[in-house]
Amino acid sequence: MRALVVEDEAPLREQLAERLRVEGYVVDLAADGEEGAFIGRDYPVDLAIVDLGLPKLPGIEVIRRWREAGLCFPVLILTARGRWQDKVEGLGVGADDYLVKPFEMEELLARLRALVRRAAGFANPVLTFGSLALDTRAECVRVEGAAVELTAFEYRILEYLMLHAGEVISKTELAEHLYHEDQDHDSNVLEVMLARLRRKLDPERLLNPIETLRGRGYRFRLLKSSGPSV
Amino acid sequence: MTPIGLTVRAGLSLNARLLIAASVVLTAFLGLTGLTLDRAFRDSALAQVRAALQVHVYALLGAADLDRAERLVFPKRLPEARFGIPGSGLYAQVNAASGALVWRSPSMLGFVDLPFDPVYRTGVAAFQDLTDADGARYFALGLAVVWEAKKSYGYTFYVAEQSDAFDALVRGFRQALWGWLVGAAVVLLAVQGLIWRWGLAPLRRVALEVAEIEAGRQSELHSSYPSELRLLTERLNALLRNRGAHLERYRHALADLAHSFKTPLAVIRSAIDDKDTPAPLQALMREQVEGLNRTVEYQLQRAAASGRTVLARPIEVEPAVRKLERTLAKVHADKGVQFDLQVAPGLRFHGDDGDLVEILGNVLDNACKWARREVVLRARPEGAGTGLVIEVEDDGPGVPEDVKPAIGRRGVRADPKIGGHGIGLAVVREIVEGVYGGRLELGRGALGGALVRVWL
Repeated sequence: MRALVVEDEAPLREQLAERLRVEGYVVDLAADGEEGAFIGRDYPVDLAIVDLGLPKLPGIEVIRRWREAGLCFPVLILTARGRWQDKVEGLGVGADDYLVKPFEMEELLARLRALVRRAAGFANPVLTFGSLALDTRAECVRVEGAAVELTAFEYRILEYLMLHAGEVISKTELAEHLYHEDQDHDSNVLEVMLARLRRKLDPERLLNPIETLRGRGYRFRLLKSSGPSV
Repeated sequence: MTPIGLTVRAGLSLNARLLIAASVVLTAFLGLTGLTLDRAFRDSALAQVRAALQVHVYALLGAADLDRAERLVFPKRLPEARFGIPGSGLYAQVNAASGALVWRSPSMLGFVDLPFDPVYRTGVAAFQDLTDADGARYFALGLAVVWEAKKSYGYTFYVAEQSDAFDALVRGFRQALWGWLVGAAVVLLAVQGLIWRWGLAPLRRVALEVAEIEAGRQSELHSSYPSELRLLTERLNALLRNRGAHLERYRHALADLAHSFKTPLAVIRSAIDDKDTPAPLQALMREQVEGLNRTVEYQLQRAAASGRTVLARPIEVEPAVRKLERTLAKVHADKGVQFDLQVAPGLRFHGDDGDLVEILGNVLDNACKWARREVVLRARPEGAGTGLVIEVEDDGPGVPEDVKPAIGRRGVRADPKIGGHGIGLAVVREIVEGVYGGRLELGRGALGGALVRVWL
């Protein structure tokens, strides 16, 4: 998951970046509105956290520009302004959620997870595909009701593929959403990660939830189940 | 001055003041004019009467003669035929210097006996105003002459004419005069009235436009006004424009203050969760930051409430409610809350847009947090004036009786596990009761959950 943080206060920006990285997000940072608008437009961002009182370009304008450009990744407004009129305006121009400073980091993370899930079209916080269930709130995965231990990175790969179930995801696209450009990454590492993920999810090789389409990429091939199950 | 006198004075409209003043002045002026004209006419008519009498006296003098016995005699044909017709109204009499009656005109015989005053100075005509025994009025002229013959004889010639013709003349003149004067007064007052109507029209227009502004149909005074009013109307327009800008600036300043205060708080709060911070310190700091934030948040929200301002355009309630519905549907997307919003058509709130959104936002957000599925809002006018009542209820667990009195007081919330800063209803209560002088009440609704009722 690639998260963009547009926040002019350096300490808060760094704290957010640090915590999001720990959670397995790829983080892009912008210190002012113009930079934020540019990154959101030109990079494959999955979600954005935007402050309203930004230098150069107000947060409201940043969000408006993204939406006018047809970009529909979820946006969470993180601001000191607690008046309802600001909330109405912010969500009116196309933001999806609103959090007033100071905030609990856990609440912010929970809301981001919910935003990403809803943006992918899942109403339920637990994504269920047959016997495979991914709980976006607890960030845990169960197969046949038994918890599977995943690293944060493995979890992000699976989450991304499940949120885009049925779509062919190229290796480049996957890398873009899981690595920062500055990070040195080897496509072999991704392949190794996927192999390990497959082993953990499907040790018997009966399910084969993630298929490899040679030269094109990967696809999560299980069918979505209706109704909640854990 | 008594208070009653003051209120009467203040209550008079400009039109009434002008009308009263003009009526008094006009009455005095026309009254004096009338009296003067009346007197002048009377004097001139009287002078004419006197001149005519004098002509008669001299004519009689000319006609009279002494006979050989030196008695005063008159010819059969008197110089004026009316002297010969009994009761004609024109009478003549001659008295001797002793006062004894010498001669009476035939017109007088058997009809009148006039109480002529004696005339002492010879050669000077004396005008007399007489009333006879029956009360009839006469104008008379007496002239004392001395007749030189062998002896000298003193006579006084009197000619009297009844005042009927004179009275009729004066009466006729008076009627015409006062008729015209009253007519002129009425016409003048009517013309004055029209002039004032025209002259005061700009004032009436200002009042109408102010009413339009208060009703929200226009935002400032549009018409062009005469120079005397222009300063006033231009300043009023400037004030109307300025007030909005001023409130905007003020709220921006508050937003900046909130930003510069709460962002560092956010940094501190995140730092508390750091693994390096000792656990006892974490709890203490978290509590302190929470308390600090609650105070700041509450004070900022309260300060941002503007309240009712004179000449403010009333706010439509329905659009504000619809905007909030869209916002809250996003914020509480996972819950899938069903909104049932019943706003009386055309309902308007006489106050600030931001305050209305703040009140409704907090109350609805609270309802969404507690609701299982359904939130109902009802808004309708209340009472005869501009008041309105808003009810919001949910199908949640409702408010327990023991915490009900405390809810909405600063920083108290029923369940600390449910998000928010616990100042939502406190801010609403402050705006509703402190700023707008309304009322907020908590109860149980038909759906079984909490019911918040707000009177504004």
